[in-house]
Amino acid sequence: MKPQTAESAASGWVECRVGDFHLETSWEIQPGQVLVLFGPSGAGKSTTLRAIAGLLRPVRGRVELGGRVVYDGDAGIWVPTHGRRLGYLTQQYHLFPHLKVAENIAFGLKDSRSPAGRARVLELTSLFQLDGLEDRFPWELSGGQQQRVALARALASEPAMLLLDEPFASLDAELRRTLRRELRSMLAQSPVPVMLVTHDREEALALGDSVQVINEGRTLVTGEPLDVLGQPGQGRVARLVGVENLFDLTVQERNPRDGTMTCVGPGLRLEVPLDSHIPQNGTPEGGQDRVTVGIRASDIILAKEDLSGSSARNRLPGQVISVESRPPGYAVTLDCGQPMRCHITGAALEEMGIRVGQRLWAVFKASSCFLVDEDRV
Amino acid sequence: MVSQVSNHPAGILGGGGAALYVLFIGLPVLALLVRAAQQSDFLDAVTSDAALTALRLSLLTSIISMAVVVLLGTPFAYLLARNDRLWARVVDSLVELPLVLPPVVAGVAMLMAFGRNGLIGSELESIGLTIPFTTTAVVFAQIFVASPFFIRSAKLGFQSVAKDYEDIAQTLGVSPWRTFFRITLPLAAPAMFTGLGLAWARALSEFGATMMFAGNLTGETQTMPLAIMSAMETSLDGALALSVILLAGSILGLVLLGLLTRRRWQGRL
Repeated sequence: MKPQTAESAASGWVECRVGDFHLETSWEIQPGQVLVLFGPSGAGKSTTLRAIAGLLRPVRGRVELGGRVVYDGDAGIWVPTHGRRLGYLTQQYHLFPHLKVAENIAFGLKDSRSPAGRARVLELTSLFQLDGLEDRFPWELSGGQQQRVALARALASEPAMLLLDEPFASLDAELRRTLRRELRSMLAQSPVPVMLVTHDREEALALGDSVQVINEGRTLVTGEPLDVLGQPGQGRVARLVGVENLFDLTVQERNPRDGTMTCVGPGLRLEVPLDSHIPQNGTPEGGQDRVTVGIRASDIILAKEDLSGSSARNRLPGQVISVESRPPGYAVTLDCGQPMRCHITGAALEEMGIRVGQRLWAVFKASSCFLVDEDRV
Repeated sequence: MVSQVSNHPAGILGGGGAALYVLFIGLPVLALLVRAAQQSDFLDAVTSDAALTALRLSLLTSIISMAVVVLLGTPFAYLLARNDRLWARVVDSLVELPLVLPPVVAGVAMLMAFGRNGLIGSELESIGLTIPFTTTAVVFAQIFVASPFFIRSAKLGFQSVAKDYEDIAQTLGVSPWRTFFRITLPLAAPAMFTGLGLAWARALSEFGATMMFAGNLTGETQTMPLAIMSAMETSLDGALALSVILLAGSILGLVLLGLLTRRRWQGRL
């Protein structure tokens, strides 16, 4: 059942112009790997997918998928969309409303009425747990079921690449997780290169083998999801991926022996990793150099008392100024001289009886802090 | 819900308006049926040669004009729906011209174009084509006045089909042509049927332009409306019979339209 092309990587680069918007991007995805395009809306994520799908003609570029070149601006190669063998999923799924579930899934099959075609539809309906729903119309399905039908339809004709444009955006958090798991196991079975567009950090971490952060048509960084989204080294990337705590501080003292340095700012004093990799920008040795320090909200421990006997280098007292629900947990903001956001679970919140006005300690290791380079692009 | 509306001032006014409207439309229709039923030789009049000839001609010409309108109008409407360049918008507003133009003026205008002394009339004649005062002229007149109803409705139908459906279909390996027939056309079909129904009704009732451009020749250009007018001059019975046939046809058309445009997926696009 598996075509030989399924083992091919997808790669290419494109330069697109849509009105005033200018996009330049490149990619390389191995079979079974997921490249996450991460960025705010209007960054050019969907435009990239549309260019790969041939729904938009790039100014220049080269698109290779399924082991063949489907677009090469210089060589004058242009394979139209229907000849590219793609699976393309949109946020609204766009299931054909006049066709039943089975007809939707079979839509791209050349031989949907032959025994082989029927078998393929049957295989997909059971793979995506759609048994018994074959004769329903799309609007008679739940959001999750619609999503599964859309995925089954996209995979029916064994595409050489999957393009997923925020496929889980309109589902609730619970269902998202379930479908993400299913997508992962499905990818393990039929390894095609996948490009996934999202602006959900959790989704990028759960599904991505690599993450490409783009903004205003430019790629800012490409790398491992945890590196890029966990401790992003660039100011713009840090903001885009939503690093909860960013502080502008001044270096007060460097301790090369410990590999740390002490940074101070209004009401704040932090131990952070030494900035050995930063001075490429001509920052003078010593003196009053300014740094931006990021700390993820989930890396901060809240304590009722000072954990003086602990190895954590940063222990800051503060007062709770807000507690917000942030499913599945809570976001607590502490005033430690500057507001500091911490993510904790509901159980922790209840156990500690956290409420606004309470005095707590924010505790985190020096290595949880990372330096963000504001100037590098 | 119901009580909310009926308590509302607009509900009272609206109710009165509805009653007046039903009377206004219903009374003449009822009167027509009552008078026709009172005729002793109603059936004879309905099946008379003159009536059948006019009916046959009306059906024939309107079917031909509808075929032309659908075949040429569908791709045209699709183009208008998917294109917002300047020329398309200009053409789009041109489509509405026949709707506001008095049919008699349309008839005169066509005579000026295709008539013997018209702009291209002599050229047409030199290749053996005579259009005015022929059955072809009847079809021309019907297409002229009725086509906008179909084109406008079909355009709206195509616009209601999000382009994403077509994009998705093509990523699934289906060519643009097959996508059009398997996705776009079925999804736009209800709107197209509505437009076709309206256009057909307009073509069947066409009078002014036909009168000016095609004349009133029995068996050749005398369609039902023209036959009714002619009959009025000699016998009311004949006119009544023809009117009842047209009325029955209209009601049948309305029912058919309702059936053809109903879809299970209505409102789900």
